[in-house]
Amino acid sequence: MRKALTLVVTGLVAAVLGILALGGLAAAATATEAEAVTEARNASEAAKRAGKQDPYAPEVYGNR
Amino acid sequence: MDADRRRPARDRLPLYVVAAAVTALVLAPLAAPGYALLYDMVFVPRQPLTWDLVAPAESLPRAVPMDAVVSLVTQLVPGWVVQRLVLGAAILLAAVGAGRLVPTERRGIRLLAAVGYAWTPYLAERLLIGQWGLLVAYAALPWLVRAALDLRAGRDGALARVVLIAAPAAITPTGGLVALGVVALLVPARERWRRSALAVAGVALLNAPWVTAALVTRAAGSSDPAGVAAFAARAENWAGPLVALAGTGGIWSAQATPASRAVPLVPLATLVLLVLAGAGVGLLRRRLPPGATVRLTVLAGAGFLLASLGVLPGGDAALRWAVVNLPGAGLLRDGQKFLAPYALLLVVCAALGAERLLGRVERVDRDMAGVVLVGLLLLPVAVMPDLAFGGAGRLRPVSYPADWRAVAGRVADDPGGQIVSLPLSAYRAYPWNSGRVVLDPAPRYLPGTVLTDDTLRVGDVAVAGENPRLRELRRVLAEGRPVAATGARWVVVQHHLAGGVDPATLAGLEVVHRGSFLTLYRNPAAPSGPVAPPPARWAVVAALGTALLVVLVAVFSALRRRATAW
Repeated sequence: MRKALTLVVTGLVAAVLGILALGGLAAAATATEAEAVTEARNASEAAKRAGKQDPYAPEVYGNR
Repeated sequence: MDADRRRPARDRLPLYVVAAAVTALVLAPLAAPGYALLYDMVFVPRQPLTWDLVAPAESLPRAVPMDAVVSLVTQLVPGWVVQRLVLGAAILLAAVGAGRLVPTERRGIRLLAAVGYAWTPYLAERLLIGQWGLLVAYAALPWLVRAALDLRAGRDGALARVVLIAAPAAITPTGGLVALGVVALLVPARERWRRSALAVAGVALLNAPWVTAALVTRAAGSSDPAGVAAFAARAENWAGPLVALAGTGGIWSAQATPASRAVPLVPLATLVLLVLAGAGVGLLRRRLPPGATVRLTVLAGAGFLLASLGVLPGGDAALRWAVVNLPGAGLLRDGQKFLAPYALLLVVCAALGAERLLGRVERVDRDMAGVVLVGLLLLPVAVMPDLAFGGAGRLRPVSYPADWRAVAGRVADDPGGQIVSLPLSAYRAYPWNSGRVVLDPAPRYLPGTVLTDDTLRVGDVAVAGENPRLRELRRVLAEGRPVAATGARWVVVQHHLAGGVDPATLAGLEVVHRGSFLTLYRNPAAPSGPVAPPPARWAVVAALGTALLVVLVAVFSALRRRATAW
């Protein structure tokens, strides 16, 4: 009985850690690739249309 | 803490091994040669000891005395070695310090605190924005808290330890203020008022270099109020900025925030951490000397309040008023950096909360308790996996193009006068640095006073700098007049960057070096030869000397107490 309970808890802990890690890695992977590029392009074009400073110009310290 | 002191050194080995493993995991890319250049992190092969790095004449002393220390150290040790030593030591000592601070007999709980404190969003964000000076203060914090509590308890040698640990923390104004706050809050005890006063005075003197530099600089003491909103804490996900701060994250910059912080489950992990910390407060209160937990809570609360001021109703208006009307209040605008004491208390309490939880689970099944402990150990890494490998590849060493050394050599051969770095921009994105944004390295690479833009662009908001000389330079450039009219001796034009340089700007200058990345011009109309520093700058040197003297006295005091000095 105890062994089964330990196995269940181990499974649960592994599942929680796995879900969190996968979520984080997926967010990191997409944010640095496709999503980030699209987001940056949209923001740059919007700034250009509004006649504002391009928020993704290289000299920009960062964006909020 | 007493429990930790009684342990043989062998018992502490796992703590050091885990701390070393965490450090290696975070800084793995730095095994490659070169310099990791990211946002505010600029290291160069050999940083010259210029007056402007020791005591900036026309800008605020944000890196005093950090730049002077780096300049001195890189005269002996190459900059790439210094970078690795500083970053490695910061993460390793942060982990070990937190592990040793936890008042527990259980090794696993120490490991939890070590991993938890070295894998916080705070550490990740300040690393990814390149503020390594703050990381040094973050690493010193648990050691400083321990030494301060020892001093309060009247332990021998604690006064010297307080000063010696506060010294590295005080290499930046923020770190110095945090160290002073720790000592002023934790040390004072009526029965040992003399030692308490000496400790507070000693750490206050360690802050003297940047305070003196702020008093003698010609830069405006007030800051642009636009910086308050630009640098206020930022929401990482649906939960808002206060929850981000509660999880020790919430830096203003989206680029310096690990992407994993945007995951919708992250606030739940923060909640777990807060619940564990809440469960551990009682144990901390019982195991620390009377009153210590309350003082630590006040310190952490003050840090959290400063961090959240920019997003609290009325807080932003108060901060805007302060940065305009109170000289030096600009220090408070990026308030998230003051979150370090909160992060320490949170991690220590959460570790003790985990001890309580494990105690209950152990009563049911020892194996299960082991599983839960491993799960809790891995939780910070699972929640933020993209801190590993230098923030998922963001810290990647590169080599400076040979142009930089050539230009520095030409300027060194004919010293004197100011150097203008064009196109005007505080930050650069070089193709040789894979387009990563970094502070212009020219002021640290070139042997002279370099004028580079101090306007900070955050999105489409421009936060004005404080340098009066740059205002004049910007006006000259905006009017299309040649830069030679400013009296600058040298002009460095950096190619392959956004925004070119108008040829009319360079009229009257002669080319001294033309390379693929940099072109150096000399202004024949500007006089050469070394410029005598204004006498006020010697006040900063005197303050630096005083701080050094305080450190030396502490060193001798510490050595005298040991049977052998080594």
